[in-house]
Amino acid sequence: MAMRQTPLTCSGHTRPVVDLAFSGITPYGYFLISACKDGKPMLRQGDTGDWIGTFLGHKGAVWGATLNTDATKAATAAADFTAKVWDAVSGDEVLSLAHKHIVKTVSFTQDSNCLLTGGNDKLLRIYDLSSPEAAPQEISGHTSAIKKALWCNNDQQILSAADDKTIRLWDRSSMEEVKTLTFDTSVSSMEYVADGQILVITYGKTIAFYNALSLELIKTVEAPAPINSASLHPEKDFFVAGGDDFKLYKFDYSTKEELDQSETDGAAAHVSAESYKGHFGPVHCVRFSPDGELYASGSEDGTLRLWQTAVGKTYGLWKCVLPEDLGSENPEQLYTSTPEIKA
Amino acid sequence: MATPVPVLRLPKGPDPNSRGFDPNSPRFIALCRTSISSSAASDTDSEQLQKEQDARSVLREGFLRCLLSMTNKKVQFQMYENVKVEATFGASDIDVLNFQVSDLHTPIGVQKEALIRCQDVISFTFEV
Repeated sequence: MAMRQTPLTCSGHTRPVVDLAFSGITPYGYFLISACKDGKPMLRQGDTGDWIGTFLGHKGAVWGATLNTDATKAATAAADFTAKVWDAVSGDEVLSLAHKHIVKTVSFTQDSNCLLTGGNDKLLRIYDLSSPEAAPQEISGHTSAIKKALWCNNDQQILSAADDKTIRLWDRSSMEEVKTLTFDTSVSSMEYVADGQILVITYGKTIAFYNALSLELIKTVEAPAPINSASLHPEKDFFVAGGDDFKLYKFDYSTKEELDQSETDGAAAHVSAESYKGHFGPVHCVRFSPDGELYASGSEDGTLRLWQTAVGKTYGLWKCVLPEDLGSENPEQLYTSTPEIKA
Repeated sequence: MATPVPVLRLPKGPDPNSRGFDPNSPRFIALCRTSISSSAASDTDSEQLQKEQDARSVLREGFLRCLLSMTNKKVQFQMYENVKVEATFGASDIDVLNFQVSDLHTPIGVQKEALIRCQDVISFTFEV
Protein backbone atom coordinates (compact mmCIF):
# COMPACT_ATOMS: atom_id res chain seq x y z
CA MET A 1 0.00 0.00 0.00
CA ALA A 2 1.58 3.24 -1.13
CA MET A 3 2.05 6.00 1.40
CA ARG A 4 2.13 9.69 0.60
CA GLN A 5 4.89 11.88 2.05
CA THR A 6 3.80 14.03 5.00
CA PRO A 7 6.22 16.95 5.30
CA LEU A 8 6.64 18.41 8.78
CA THR A 9 6.35 22.18 8.75
CA CYS A 10 8.54 24.17 11.13
CA SER A 11 7.15 27.65 11.47
CA GLY A 12 8.43 30.58 13.52
CA HIS A 13 10.34 32.58 10.96
CA THR A 14 8.55 35.60 9.59
CA ARG A 15 10.55 36.07 6.37
CA PRO A 16 12.16 33.82 3.76
CA VAL A 17 14.51 31.09 4.99
CA VAL A 18 17.63 31.39 2.87
CA ASP A 19 20.09 28.93 4.35
CA LEU A 20 20.14 25.94 6.65
CA ALA A 21 22.72 23.56 8.01
CA PHE A 22 22.79 20.38 10.09
CA SER A 23 25.34 19.56 12.76
CA GLY A 24 26.97 16.17 13.02
CA ILE A 25 25.47 13.47 15.20
CA THR A 26 26.02 14.31 18.88
CA PRO A 27 25.12 12.39 22.06
CA TYR A 28 22.00 14.60 22.15
CA GLY A 29 20.96 13.86 18.59
CA TYR A 30 21.63 16.22 15.70
CA PHE A 31 20.64 19.82 15.22
CA LEU A 32 19.53 22.17 12.51
CA ILE A 33 20.15 25.91 12.17
CA SER A 34 18.17 28.12 9.81
CA ALA A 35 19.18 31.52 8.44
CA CYS A 36 16.33 33.91 7.78
CA LYS A 37 15.82 37.36 6.38
CA ASP A 38 14.05 38.28 9.62
CA GLY A 39 17.51 38.43 11.25
CA LYS A 40 16.73 35.76 13.83
CA PRO A 41 18.43 32.44 13.10
CA MET A 42 16.90 29.50 14.92
CA LEU A 43 18.25 26.27 16.32
CA ARG A 44 16.05 23.18 16.10
CA GLN A 45 16.28 19.54 17.06
CA GLY A 46 17.23 17.89 13.78
CA ASP A 47 15.05 14.79 13.80
CA THR A 48 11.82 16.42 14.97
CA GLY A 49 12.11 20.05 13.93
CA ASP A 50 11.30 21.14 17.50
CA TRP A 51 12.47 24.69 18.16
CA ILE A 52 15.27 24.92 20.72
CA GLY A 53 16.17 28.60 20.64
CA THR A 54 16.63 31.77 18.63
CA PHE A 55 19.98 33.56 18.32
CA LEU A 56 19.21 37.21 19.00
CA GLY A 57 21.63 39.96 18.10
CA HIS A 58 21.84 40.51 14.36
CA LYS A 59 20.44 43.77 13.06
CA GLY A 60 19.83 42.66 9.50
CA ALA A 61 18.87 39.70 7.33
CA VAL A 62 20.90 36.59 8.10
CA TRP A 63 22.19 35.12 4.85
CA GLY A 64 24.22 32.18 6.07
CA ALA A 65 24.27 29.93 9.12
CA THR A 66 26.26 26.93 10.18
CA LEU A 67 26.91 24.68 13.18
CA ASN A 68 30.11 22.98 14.18
CA THR A 69 30.15 19.18 14.21
CA ASP A 70 29.16 18.72 17.85
CA ALA A 71 26.62 21.58 17.74
CA THR A 72 28.31 23.50 20.54
CA LYS A 73 28.99 26.53 18.35
CA ALA A 74 27.01 28.30 15.68
CA ALA A 75 28.09 30.95 13.21
CA THR A 76 25.94 33.31 11.20
CA ALA A 77 26.54 35.76 8.35
CA ALA A 78 24.34 38.82 8.04
CA ALA A 79 23.46 41.95 6.15
CA ASP A 80 24.49 44.04 9.16
CA PHE A 81 28.09 43.59 7.96
CA THR A 82 28.93 41.14 10.75
CA ALA A 83 29.51 37.46 11.14
CA LYS A 84 28.73 36.25 14.63
CA VAL A 85 29.81 33.19 16.57
CA TRP A 86 27.37 31.86 19.15
CA ASP A 87 27.38 29.35 21.97
CA ALA A 88 24.83 26.91 20.57
CA VAL A 89 24.01 25.47 24.00
CA SER A 90 23.19 28.71 25.82
CA GLY A 91 22.29 30.83 22.78
CA ASP A 92 24.72 33.57 23.84
CA GLU A 93 26.64 35.62 21.33
CA VAL A 94 30.33 34.85 21.75
CA LEU A 95 31.95 36.94 19.02
CA SER A 96 30.97 39.60 16.54
CA LEU A 97 33.33 39.91 13.57
CA ALA A 98 32.99 43.20 11.74
CA HIS A 99 33.20 43.18 7.95
CA LYS A 100 33.12 45.92 5.36
CA HIS A 101 30.01 44.70 3.58
CA ILE A 102 27.18 42.15 3.75
CA VAL A 103 28.46 38.78 4.89
CA LYS A 104 26.91 35.86 3.03
CA THR A 105 28.60 32.67 4.14
CA VAL A 106 30.33 31.15 7.18
CA SER A 107 32.04 27.82 7.68
CA PHE A 108 33.88 26.20 10.64
CA THR A 109 36.92 23.97 10.28
CA GLN A 110 36.43 20.46 11.66
CA ASP A 111 38.16 21.36 14.93
CA SER A 112 35.98 24.53 15.20
CA ASN A 113 39.11 26.65 15.68
CA CYS A 114 38.83 28.67 12.50
CA LEU A 115 35.95 30.40 10.81
CA LEU A 116 35.84 31.13 7.08
CA THR A 117 33.67 34.04 5.95
CA GLY A 118 32.78 35.50 2.58
CA GLY A 119 30.43 38.13 1.29
CA ASN A 120 29.81 41.16 -0.84
CA ASP A 121 33.25 42.65 -0.28
CA LYS A 122 34.59 39.84 -2.51
CA LEU A 123 37.12 38.69 0.10
CA LEU A 124 37.47 35.38 1.87
CA ARG A 125 38.52 35.78 5.48
CA ILE A 126 39.89 33.22 7.89
CA TYR A 127 39.48 34.02 11.59
CA ASP A 128 41.39 32.23 14.31
CA LEU A 129 38.73 31.83 16.97
CA SER A 130 41.29 31.35 19.72
CA SER A 131 42.66 34.84 19.05
CA PRO A 132 39.70 36.73 17.59
CA GLU A 133 41.22 40.20 18.08
CA ALA A 134 43.95 39.25 15.62
CA ALA A 135 43.29 40.40 12.07
CA PRO A 136 41.91 37.65 9.84
CA GLN A 137 43.85 36.28 6.91
CA GLU A 138 42.34 37.58 3.70
CA ILE A 139 42.14 35.91 0.30
CA SER A 140 41.23 38.04 -2.68
CA GLY A 141 40.59 37.05 -6.26
CA HIS A 142 36.88 36.93 -6.84
CA THR A 143 35.60 39.82 -8.91
CA SER A 144 32.13 39.94 -7.42
CA ALA A 145 30.20 39.02 -4.30
CA ILE A 146 30.96 35.66 -2.73
CA LYS A 147 27.87 33.51 -2.15
CA LYS A 148 29.31 30.43 -0.52
CA ALA A 149 32.65 29.39 0.93
CA LEU A 150 33.54 26.01 2.37
CA TRP A 151 36.54 24.20 3.84
CA CYS A 152 37.44 21.04 1.98
CA ASN A 153 40.09 18.35 1.75
CA ASN A 154 40.54 18.07 5.50
CA ASP A 155 40.48 21.88 5.90
CA GLN A 156 43.61 22.20 3.78
CA GLN A 157 41.72 23.85 0.95
CA ILE A 158 38.87 26.29 0.48
CA LEU A 159 36.13 26.28 -2.15
CA SER A 160 34.30 29.50 -2.93
CA ALA A 161 31.44 30.32 -5.29
CA ALA A 162 30.72 33.89 -6.35
CA ASP A 163 28.49 36.00 -8.57
CA ASP A 164 31.41 36.29 -10.99
CA LYS A 165 30.22 32.85 -12.24
CA THR A 166 33.29 31.07 -10.95
CA ILE A 167 34.02 28.49 -8.33
CA ARG A 168 37.58 28.66 -7.08
CA LEU A 169 39.68 26.22 -5.14
CA TRP A 170 42.30 27.79 -2.86
CA ASP A 171 45.16 26.33 -0.89
CA ARG A 172 44.87 27.34 2.74
CA SER A 173 48.56 27.62 3.57
CA SER A 174 49.71 29.42 0.46
CA MET A 175 46.40 31.34 0.15
CA GLU A 176 46.76 30.91 -3.61
CA GLU A 177 44.21 29.93 -6.18
CA VAL A 178 44.71 26.32 -7.25
CA LYS A 179 41.93 25.85 -9.76
CA THR A 180 38.93 27.70 -11.19
CA LEU A 181 35.67 26.51 -12.71
CA THR A 182 33.86 29.00 -14.91
CA PHE A 183 30.18 28.80 -15.75
CA ASP A 184 27.88 30.62 -18.17
CA THR A 185 25.52 31.51 -15.41
CA SER A 186 25.71 32.25 -11.72
CA VAL A 187 26.05 29.23 -9.45
CA SER A 188 23.08 29.08 -7.07
CA SER A 189 24.49 26.70 -4.49
CA MET A 190 27.41 24.52 -3.53
CA GLU A 191 27.66 21.58 -1.10
CA TYR A 192 30.75 19.61 -0.22
CA VAL A 193 30.54 15.94 0.77
CA ALA A 194 33.76 15.11 2.60
CA ASP A 195 33.32 11.37 2.42
CA GLY A 196 34.06 10.71 -1.22
CA GLN A 197 35.22 14.27 -1.94
CA ILE A 198 32.18 15.21 -3.99
CA LEU A 199 31.11 18.75 -4.77
CA VAL A 200 27.42 19.34 -5.56
CA ILE A 201 26.78 22.51 -7.57
CA THR A 202 23.55 23.94 -8.92
CA TYR A 203 23.06 26.48 -11.70
CA GLY A 204 20.06 27.09 -13.91
CA LYS A 205 18.15 23.80 -14.04
CA THR A 206 21.33 21.77 -13.63
CA ILE A 207 22.64 19.85 -10.68
CA ALA A 208 26.29 19.01 -11.27
CA PHE A 209 28.63 16.70 -9.38
CA TYR A 210 32.36 17.33 -9.37
CA ASN A 211 35.38 15.72 -7.80
CA ALA A 212 36.24 18.19 -5.05
CA LEU A 213 40.00 17.68 -5.33
CA SER A 214 40.49 17.83 -9.07
CA LEU A 215 37.33 19.81 -9.90
CA GLU A 216 36.65 17.32 -12.66
CA LEU A 217 33.04 16.85 -13.66
CA ILE A 218 31.48 13.56 -12.60
CA LYS A 219 28.01 14.07 -14.06
CA THR A 220 25.15 16.52 -14.50
CA VAL A 221 21.43 16.08 -14.10
CA GLU A 222 18.72 18.37 -15.49
CA ALA A 223 15.71 19.23 -13.36
CA PRO A 224 12.33 20.40 -14.65
CA ALA A 225 12.73 23.85 -13.10
CA PRO A 226 15.51 26.26 -12.06
CA ILE A 227 17.18 24.83 -8.99
CA ASN A 228 18.41 26.88 -6.03
CA SER A 229 19.92 24.14 -3.90
CA ALA A 230 20.71 20.44 -3.92
CA SER A 231 22.03 17.92 -1.42
CA LEU A 232 23.54 14.48 -1.78
CA HIS A 233 22.51 11.67 0.57
CA PRO A 234 25.34 10.58 2.94
CA GLU A 235 25.32 7.12 1.36
CA LYS A 236 25.29 8.72 -2.07
CA ASP A 237 22.29 6.81 -3.35
CA PHE A 238 19.99 9.82 -3.72
CA PHE A 239 20.12 13.53 -4.04
CA VAL A 240 17.40 16.09 -3.50
CA ALA A 241 16.93 19.47 -5.12
CA GLY A 242 14.55 22.37 -4.80
CA GLY A 243 14.01 25.61 -6.68
CA ASP A 244 11.70 28.10 -8.23
CA ASP A 245 8.69 25.84 -8.85
CA PHE A 246 8.27 25.34 -5.07
CA LYS A 247 8.75 21.55 -5.33
CA LEU A 248 11.31 19.19 -3.88
CA TYR A 249 12.78 16.67 -6.29
CA LYS A 250 14.42 13.41 -5.34
CA PHE A 251 16.69 11.73 -7.85
CA ASP A 252 18.52 8.49 -7.79
CA TYR A 253 22.24 9.29 -7.82
CA SER A 254 23.79 6.16 -9.21
CA THR A 255 21.72 5.59 -12.31
CA LYS A 256 19.48 8.64 -12.79
CA GLU A 257 16.61 6.16 -13.18
CA GLU A 258 13.02 7.07 -12.63
CA LEU A 259 11.99 6.24 -9.09
CA ASP A 260 8.80 4.60 -7.87
CA GLN A 261 6.08 6.09 -10.10
CA SER A 262 3.31 5.61 -7.54
CA GLU A 263 4.92 8.29 -5.40
CA THR A 264 4.69 11.08 -7.94
CA ASP A 265 1.79 13.40 -7.48
CA GLY A 266 0.92 14.12 -11.04
CA ALA A 267 4.20 15.72 -12.02
CA ALA A 268 4.89 16.00 -15.75
CA ALA A 269 5.83 12.77 -17.52
CA HIS A 270 9.28 13.92 -18.62
CA VAL A 271 10.47 14.27 -15.00
CA SER A 272 12.64 11.34 -14.02
CA ALA A 273 12.40 11.98 -10.31
CA GLU A 274 9.98 11.93 -7.43
CA SER A 275 8.62 15.34 -6.71
CA TYR A 276 6.96 16.65 -3.60
CA LYS A 277 4.76 19.64 -3.18
CA GLY A 278 4.36 21.48 0.07
CA HIS A 279 6.08 24.83 0.03
CA PHE A 280 4.22 27.99 -0.96
CA GLY A 281 7.24 29.71 -2.37
CA PRO A 282 10.57 29.00 -4.08
CA VAL A 283 12.83 26.61 -2.21
CA HIS A 284 16.10 28.33 -1.30
CA CYS A 285 18.01 25.58 0.46
CA VAL A 286 17.82 21.86 0.99
CA ARG A 287 20.06 19.60 3.06
CA PHE A 288 20.14 15.95 4.05
CA SER A 289 20.42 15.15 7.75
CA PRO A 290 23.70 13.53 8.83
CA ASP A 291 22.01 10.11 9.13
CA GLY A 292 20.28 10.50 5.76
CA GLU A 293 16.86 9.68 7.20
CA LEU A 294 15.35 13.05 6.35
CA TYR A 295 16.06 16.21 4.43
CA ALA A 296 15.12 19.76 5.34
CA SER A 297 14.13 22.55 2.96
CA GLY A 298 13.90 26.29 3.55
CA SER A 299 11.66 28.47 1.45
CA GLU A 300 10.61 31.98 0.50
CA ASP A 301 7.35 31.13 2.32
CA GLY A 302 9.19 31.50 5.67
CA THR A 303 8.98 27.85 6.66
CA LEU A 304 11.31 24.92 6.94
CA ARG A 305 9.94 21.53 6.03
CA LEU A 306 11.28 18.13 6.96
CA TRP A 307 10.81 15.31 4.47
CA GLN A 308 11.35 11.58 4.93
CA THR A 309 13.89 9.81 2.77
CA ALA A 310 12.05 6.51 3.17
CA VAL A 311 8.40 7.51 3.11
CA GLY A 312 6.34 5.62 5.65
CA LYS A 313 9.21 4.62 7.92
CA THR A 314 8.93 5.27 11.65
CA TYR A 315 11.42 8.03 12.44
CA GLY A 316 11.25 11.24 14.45
CA LEU A 317 7.65 12.36 14.41
CA TRP A 318 6.63 10.09 11.55
CA LYS A 319 4.89 6.90 12.57
CA CYS A 320 4.72 3.80 10.45
CA VAL A 321 1.25 2.39 10.66
CA LEU A 322 0.51 -1.15 9.55
CA PRO A 323 -2.69 -1.66 7.50
CA GLU A 324 -4.52 -3.38 10.36
CA ASP A 325 -3.83 -0.42 12.70
CA LEU A 326 -5.54 2.14 10.50
CA GLY A 327 -9.07 2.73 11.69
CA SER A 328 -8.14 1.92 15.32
CA GLU A 329 -9.69 3.97 18.14
CA ASN A 330 -6.77 6.34 18.68
CA PRO A 331 -7.68 9.19 16.35
CA GLU A 332 -6.28 11.82 18.70
CA GLN A 333 -2.87 10.20 18.75
CA LEU A 334 -2.15 10.16 15.09
CA TYR A 335 -2.80 12.76 12.47
CA THR A 336 -3.79 10.95 9.32
CA SER A 337 -4.35 14.05 7.26
CA THR A 338 -1.82 16.73 6.58
CA PRO A 339 -2.79 19.55 8.95
CA GLU A 340 -1.79 23.04 7.88
CA ILE A 341 -1.74 24.42 11.40
CA LYS A 342 0.80 27.11 12.21
CA ALA A 343 2.75 26.02 15.26
CA MET B 1 -4.96 5.93 -3.55
CA ALA B 2 -2.07 6.81 -1.29
CA THR B 3 -2.58 7.42 2.43
CA PRO B 4 -0.50 10.19 3.96
CA VAL B 5 2.09 9.04 6.48
CA PRO B 6 0.70 9.56 10.00
CA VAL B 7 2.51 11.93 12.33
CA LEU B 8 2.65 11.85 16.14
CA ARG B 9 2.43 15.64 16.40
CA LEU B 10 3.70 18.76 14.68
CA PRO B 11 7.17 20.18 15.42
CA LYS B 12 7.11 22.52 18.40
CA GLY B 13 7.26 26.15 17.48
CA PRO B 14 9.11 29.02 19.20
CA ASP B 15 8.05 30.22 22.64
CA PRO B 16 6.79 33.79 22.19
CA ASN B 17 8.10 34.77 25.62
CA SER B 18 11.66 33.61 25.55
CA ARG B 19 14.58 33.05 23.23
CA GLY B 20 14.73 29.39 24.25
CA PHE B 21 17.86 27.36 25.10
CA ASP B 22 16.15 25.77 28.07
CA PRO B 23 18.62 25.70 31.00
CA ASN B 24 16.90 22.58 32.29
CA SER B 25 17.52 20.55 29.19
CA PRO B 26 19.98 17.65 29.63
CA ARG B 27 22.29 19.12 27.00
CA PHE B 28 22.47 22.51 28.71
CA ILE B 29 23.12 21.00 32.13
CA ALA B 30 25.83 18.74 30.76
CA LEU B 31 27.61 21.29 28.55
CA CYS B 32 27.03 24.67 30.17
CA ARG B 33 29.12 24.51 33.29
CA THR B 34 30.22 28.13 33.07
CA SER B 35 28.41 29.16 36.23
CA ILE B 36 28.43 26.46 38.82
CA SER B 37 24.82 25.91 39.78
CA SER B 38 24.12 25.22 43.39
CA SER B 39 21.25 22.88 42.63
CA ALA B 40 21.64 19.17 43.26
CA ALA B 41 22.11 18.57 39.57
CA SER B 42 24.91 16.09 40.08
CA ASP B 43 24.86 13.90 43.16
CA THR B 44 28.26 12.46 42.42
CA ASP B 45 29.75 15.85 43.36
CA SER B 46 28.24 16.15 46.84
CA GLU B 47 31.61 16.76 48.47
CA GLN B 48 32.47 19.34 45.85
CA LEU B 49 29.03 20.85 46.35
CA GLN B 50 29.77 21.26 50.07
CA LYS B 51 33.09 22.95 49.32
CA GLU B 52 31.35 25.28 46.88
CA GLN B 53 28.71 26.12 49.45
CA ASP B 54 31.37 26.89 52.07
CA ALA B 55 33.16 29.16 49.64
CA ARG B 56 29.92 30.94 48.79
CA SER B 57 29.17 31.55 52.45
CA VAL B 58 32.61 33.01 53.10
CA LEU B 59 32.39 35.32 50.10
CA ARG B 60 28.89 36.45 50.96
CA GLU B 61 29.75 37.19 54.57
CA GLY B 62 32.80 39.15 53.49
CA PHE B 63 30.73 41.20 51.07
CA LEU B 64 28.06 42.01 53.65
CA ARG B 65 30.68 43.07 56.22
CA CYS B 66 32.24 45.24 53.56
CA LEU B 67 28.93 47.02 52.97
CA LEU B 68 28.52 47.54 56.71
CA SER B 69 31.95 49.06 57.16
CA MET B 70 31.39 51.41 54.20
CA THR B 71 28.53 53.22 55.91
CA ASN B 72 29.10 57.00 56.09
CA LYS B 73 32.51 56.69 54.48
CA LYS B 74 33.69 58.33 51.28
CA VAL B 75 33.67 55.76 48.48
CA GLN B 76 35.03 56.07 44.92
CA PHE B 77 32.97 54.17 42.32
CA GLN B 78 34.49 53.04 39.04
CA MET B 79 31.66 52.68 36.54
CA TYR B 80 31.15 51.89 32.85
CA GLU B 81 31.77 54.49 30.16
CA ASN B 82 34.90 55.52 32.05
CA VAL B 83 32.89 57.17 34.80
CA LYS B 84 34.54 57.73 38.21
CA VAL B 85 32.47 59.30 40.97
CA GLU B 86 32.86 59.79 44.66
CA ALA B 87 30.11 59.81 47.27
CA THR B 88 29.35 59.10 50.90
CA PHE B 89 27.90 55.64 51.13
CA GLY B 90 24.57 55.24 52.87
CA ALA B 91 23.11 51.79 52.34
CA SER B 92 22.38 49.08 49.84
CA ASP B 93 18.95 47.65 49.07
CA ILE B 94 18.31 43.97 49.88
CA ASP B 95 19.02 42.67 46.38
CA VAL B 96 22.07 44.89 45.87
CA LEU B 97 20.41 46.60 42.93
CA ASN B 98 20.90 50.17 44.16
CA PHE B 99 23.22 51.97 46.54
CA GLN B 100 21.87 54.95 48.42
CA VAL B 101 24.56 57.65 48.57
CA SER B 102 24.89 61.30 49.67
CA ASP B 103 27.03 64.11 48.23
CA LEU B 104 27.61 62.40 44.93
CA HIS B 105 30.34 64.31 43.09
CA THR B 106 29.60 64.24 39.37
CA PRO B 107 31.16 66.17 36.45
CA ILE B 108 28.06 68.36 36.39
CA GLY B 109 27.86 69.07 40.09
CA VAL B 110 27.25 67.59 43.50
CA GLN B 111 24.04 65.63 44.03
CA LYS B 112 22.90 65.79 47.65
CA GLU B 113 21.11 62.46 47.60
CA ALA B 114 21.29 59.85 44.88
CA LEU B 115 20.81 56.22 44.00
CA ILE B 116 23.58 54.47 42.14
CA ARG B 117 22.51 51.51 39.98
CA CYS B 118 24.71 48.61 41.01
CA GLN B 119 24.85 46.96 37.59
CA ASP B 120 26.60 50.10 36.31
CA VAL B 121 29.36 49.75 38.90
CA ILE B 122 32.52 47.89 37.98
CA SER B 123 34.33 48.36 41.30
CA PHE B 124 34.46 50.62 44.34
CA THR B 125 37.23 51.69 46.72
CA PHE B 126 37.24 53.16 50.21
CA GLU B 127 39.54 53.65 53.18
CA VAL B 128 38.84 51.21 55.97
